[in-house]
Amino acid sequence: MSDKNNKIPFNEDNYTHNIERNNERKLDRRGFMKTLVGAAGVFAVSSLPWGAVAAKELMGLGEKEYPHKKITDVSKLPIGDAVEFKFPGDHDDAILIRLSENKYVAYQNACTHLRCPVFWVKEQGEMICPCHHGKFDVETGSPTAGPPRRPLPEIQIKVENGAIFAVRVKRYEA
Amino acid sequence: MRRSFLGVIILAAILMMNIIFTQYMVHQYYYENYEKVLIFGGLNIVLFPLAVFAYKKTINMRA
Ligand code: FES
Repeated sequence: MSDKNNKIPFNEDNYTHNIERNNERKLDRRGFMKTLVGAAGVFAVSSLPWGAVAAKELMGLGEKEYPHKKITDVSKLPIGDAVEFKFPGDHDDAILIRLSENKYVAYQNACTHLRCPVFWVKEQGEMICPCHHGKFDVETGSPTAGPPRRPLPEIQIKVENGAIFAVRVKRYEA
Repeated sequence: MRRSFLGVIILAAILMMNIIFTQYMVHQYYYENYEKVLIFGGLNIVLFPLAVFAYKKTINMRA
């Protein structure tokens, strides 16, 4: 083999040149361990809001009833078509699909992978997420292909006087 | 194995657990299993004093 690795890169007689540097303490083991401890602290602090919201839900404060919201009229939604709406809040996208004369399904359509909007493809009879080709079963909302693992949250529907209302978001069965 | 690396290894393991617990916590939150969210959030919090303890115990180890 060549003697490439045997060469001294440059002449030096001061072998301590790399010891007294600025910020030297940042690079040593002690500094690195401090960073790791700090990171553990960040994780601990960032768990708090999740815990707080979970505790709130457990105490039943999250179970609020939203006002029933009219989505559309039955006459405006042909069988096999879908309409998008917002429920329960103004920023919670949802989709209503009419499967047959009297069968409707509605889901919150933020994909359970990374929250892209899931849409209904009539020809394939599937709900599809454009971002990473996640697919959902239209009857149950459970994922059938792609990255999503969690079913879409279902919205309970009520038909009254020729209009369709969103009643509430169903909980997952525990 | 040089003993002075023990602390780094322990802390790295703690951080790894932090990541796992956090991911689990977030997923369980969306699955609406709120008890599990509390458990894993709690574990995440407990890991911090543990990390401090591990740091203090191992920082003066030589070679
Ligand atoms: S966001 Fe829907 S598959 Fe990734």
